[in-house]
Amino acid sequence: MTVIDQTLTRRTAIGGAVAAGAAAALTTATPAHAASATDPQIHAAVEPAVVLDAGPAGLLSADPLLHLLRRATFGPSPASIAEIRRLGATAWLDRQLNPAAIGDPVVDGLLARLPLSGLSIGEIHAKVAAGQLRQFAWEPMWQLSFAAPIRAIWTERQLYEVMVDFWSNHLNVTCPAGDVWDSRTDYDRNVIRKHALGTYANLLKASARHPAMLTYLDNRYSTRLSPNENYGRELLELHTVGMGYTERDVKEAARLLTGLTVDRTTGAYRYDAANHAVGPVQVLDFTHANATTTGGEAAALALFDHLALHPATARRIATKLCVRFVADEPPATLVTKLVKVYLDNRSAIVPVLRALFTSPEFAASIGAKTRTPLEDLAATVRILGYGPPPSGTKTFESFYVMARNAGQAPLAWGPPNGYPDVATAWASPSGLLARWNSHLSIAAGYWPADLVKPANLLTGMIGATPATYGALIDATATRLLGTTLDEGQRAALAAFYGKTPASLLKYNDPAVGWMYPYLMAMLLNSPTFALR
Amino acid sequence: MTTVNCGCDEQRRVTVSRRRLLAAGAAGAFAGLAGSQLDTQLAFAADPAYSGDVLVLLSLRGGFDGLSAVVPAGDPAYYAARPTIAVPKAQLIGGGTFFGLHPALAPLLPYWTSGKLAAVHAVGQPAPNRSHFAAMEELERAAPGTSLRTGWLNRMAGSLGADDPFDAVAMGTARPARVLDGPAPYLGLTSIDAFTLTGDDAVKPVAATMAALYQGAPPALARTAGQLTGALARAKALRSAGYTPANGAAYPSTELGAALRDVARLIKTGAGLMTATVDSGDWDMHENLGPAQPGRRMHDQLAQLAAALAAFATDLGPDGLNRVTLVTISEFGRRVAQNGSGGLDHGYGNAMFVLGGGVRGGRVYGSWPGLTAAQLRDGDLAVTTDYRAVIGEILRARCRVGDLAPVFPGVTASSLGLVATR
Repeated sequence: MTVIDQTLTRRTAIGGAVAAGAAAALTTATPAHAASATDPQIHAAVEPAVVLDAGPAGLLSADPLLHLLRRATFGPSPASIAEIRRLGATAWLDRQLNPAAIGDPVVDGLLARLPLSGLSIGEIHAKVAAGQLRQFAWEPMWQLSFAAPIRAIWTERQLYEVMVDFWSNHLNVTCPAGDVWDSRTDYDRNVIRKHALGTYANLLKASARHPAMLTYLDNRYSTRLSPNENYGRELLELHTVGMGYTERDVKEAARLLTGLTVDRTTGAYRYDAANHAVGPVQVLDFTHANATTTGGEAAALALFDHLALHPATARRIATKLCVRFVADEPPATLVTKLVKVYLDNRSAIVPVLRALFTSPEFAASIGAKTRTPLEDLAATVRILGYGPPPSGTKTFESFYVMARNAGQAPLAWGPPNGYPDVATAWASPSGLLARWNSHLSIAAGYWPADLVKPANLLTGMIGATPATYGALIDATATRLLGTTLDEGQRAALAAFYGKTPASLLKYNDPAVGWMYPYLMAMLLNSPTFALR
Repeated sequence: MTTVNCGCDEQRRVTVSRRRLLAAGAAGAFAGLAGSQLDTQLAFAADPAYSGDVLVLLSLRGGFDGLSAVVPAGDPAYYAARPTIAVPKAQLIGGGTFFGLHPALAPLLPYWTSGKLAAVHAVGQPAPNRSHFAAMEELERAAPGTSLRTGWLNRMAGSLGADDPFDAVAMGTARPARVLDGPAPYLGLTSIDAFTLTGDDAVKPVAATMAALYQGAPPALARTAGQLTGALARAKALRSAGYTPANGAAYPSTELGAALRDVARLIKTGAGLMTATVDSGDWDMHENLGPAQPGRRMHDQLAQLAAALAAFATDLGPDGLNRVTLVTISEFGRRVAQNGSGGLDHGYGNAMFVLGGGVRGGRVYGSWPGLTAAQLRDGDLAVTTDYRAVIGEILRARCRVGDLAPVFPGVTASSLGLVATR
């Protein structure tokens, strides 16, 4: 039985019953981790569920503003909490959906330390020609990789950056990888970043004519005499309509895509008419005469336009957006609504996001998402409110290594389906250990040691020293988690210091001195912080 | 800026979810326990139900040159193609008529002659792929032409009912192992001694506090946290027990040596380990591979590999080895002809080693395709045996895997007879 069969079986077995988010439908069957995470076709949407008694929602603050921040950003920061309280949800969302109008001086300054991270193909080749960069150098790709956590943590354009991450996974091109050495940074800049909040049709077409994608999925080597089916298959299965195509559809698509290639000398995209297979094609419900070699590129682009606006693609994108922003088991009602918005707006992403974040299904989904390792890392630094290192790039690399050790090296997912986005895929004890160790390391300033943080952590976090252990725990939990913990959890944390919540705090207790970072870290280790 | 990874290393990640729900949330099950009491409870919560061989997968990353390791000395084309780096007949060990072993593998000679070590030649993936990344991806997913995205070792562990992170271990790196990527639980750790929660000690009982903090948490979160606190306790118990390799085994102070030492340690605890994966890198020798002499690149790396494997086998002893089968794999072999830099470019067909108590060793298995130009596949050794079929034979004969289909869909196990049935 294939993974997909198992998934269908599981869905069938579950029927309509579902628990939200982290407590999601875990049955005795195997969850199809990567497939279900990335294939909404087999990830049957379900009716909104009654939140269970012991469900995750109760662990989190019910404040809708914090809920929006937890989902639409890489995690609330003290500054973003203040901002959304000032602006309100609508104005905050409007601002985030127009990133061009948001200044980002902090990240601009940090990225200046990674000068190769945004190079175009032409710029890389020029540097090689000028002897400033080795042929096949990996440095630009590494710098792009190191930039990812930095942007996630400190950018003001949070929702934009979340969408960049979303599309980087949806149209995955592994970074770093030797064969995209000269094209991967350009792909990030001129495909993903350029179209992240544009239309999916334009994004898809940009990816289709980009050397990074054509290389990663082998289309550059696909010729009329020997078509390579790799890109044709993933275009249908992953980028657009999802499962439900036939092998004939793949072959026809592959034939139509011949000629979309890469210039060996310049590394730039090139349409090679001589290698294009002519003749009528049919892919799903798309047909084209494809009569001339010179018209092959236009015919291929017509297919991309058709697929981008296909109802099955609309459903797939809407479902994936719901998985990212709402719940691992997306509410069917919301998916259906978003499909209509997507099609009515000819694949424009902003109206879809606006409809998503203002929906009752979104409002009702508190606690239904679990943080991935990268989200956890970014959310940690953001809620601590620590500032970036004054100089150098060592700490950028440290963040990359932390994310990698927890299982999610930015941009580095190998297969074309992108990192999974559901809790079951990330339930790893080794990954959790890496996260817990990072929480303490970052909060206490062990590693990285050069983040800008308060001289006195306790004062910086909660101000004056409270009277009791319980009050210390409550104040710190409120500061880092936006909510207080239950009695059992408070008692457990007090017991760590050999006390009870009612115990009086003395000015020289370790809990308010060298052992305070442990309280911070253990709160960041809590189930509450694991959720978003 | 320094890079944090070499160009040939593959980026991998983890996706693990529990195959079966435990009867109770693990964290909750240990309510009211603290400190050493908790450790003891968790350390012995393992289920040693598995009675097949522990399959140890040794990945030789970068593209291992099987033709240098297991030399086709009887094929004149080999010497013609490698004027400066071929291993002379006089230096070969292992005493075969057609094949001989590289002299640097001398530490393994006792296992070869006593029949615990075998090689299979002209193995590889069903289709050539000379990209490190793509080939490694295919090697570890091992299901071309399917929609499967999991790693085959995870599918193996799953089919055997793995339900504890210590059932399947990636040793030597905390990074997720692609080959273990999938729903069955597994553990990735740099080493047993380094599998620690920062700051956790008698004065600062972080782990015990976390176990308490996760009581009543949503089941999915509680389960992973419980697995982690359990694994931490198990690692702690192993650490406090200490470890001295048996039979005078001397592991080389290499990453591979350390990883194999920890695998032996886990095997000896009898805690139900099904499979472990370890890595050996740096086999991507495009230049200066060198002749078979000490101080030269290939020679010294093979010597290190052999020393680590010999120490592992020595440490396990005959009885221990009877419950272990170790196999080596690599993403691809290397070009038959040496290049202009005295090295070898990426190739196709390769050799794999099989070490274990159940091995019928001392010989080279497989079907030799020949090395004349017409017999090569684009200049490379052809593949006559799918590596999955070889592993499939071991899985069926030694690891009690009844049905190969979930592990290697569409693959029929080879019938080389290279291992005795358990």
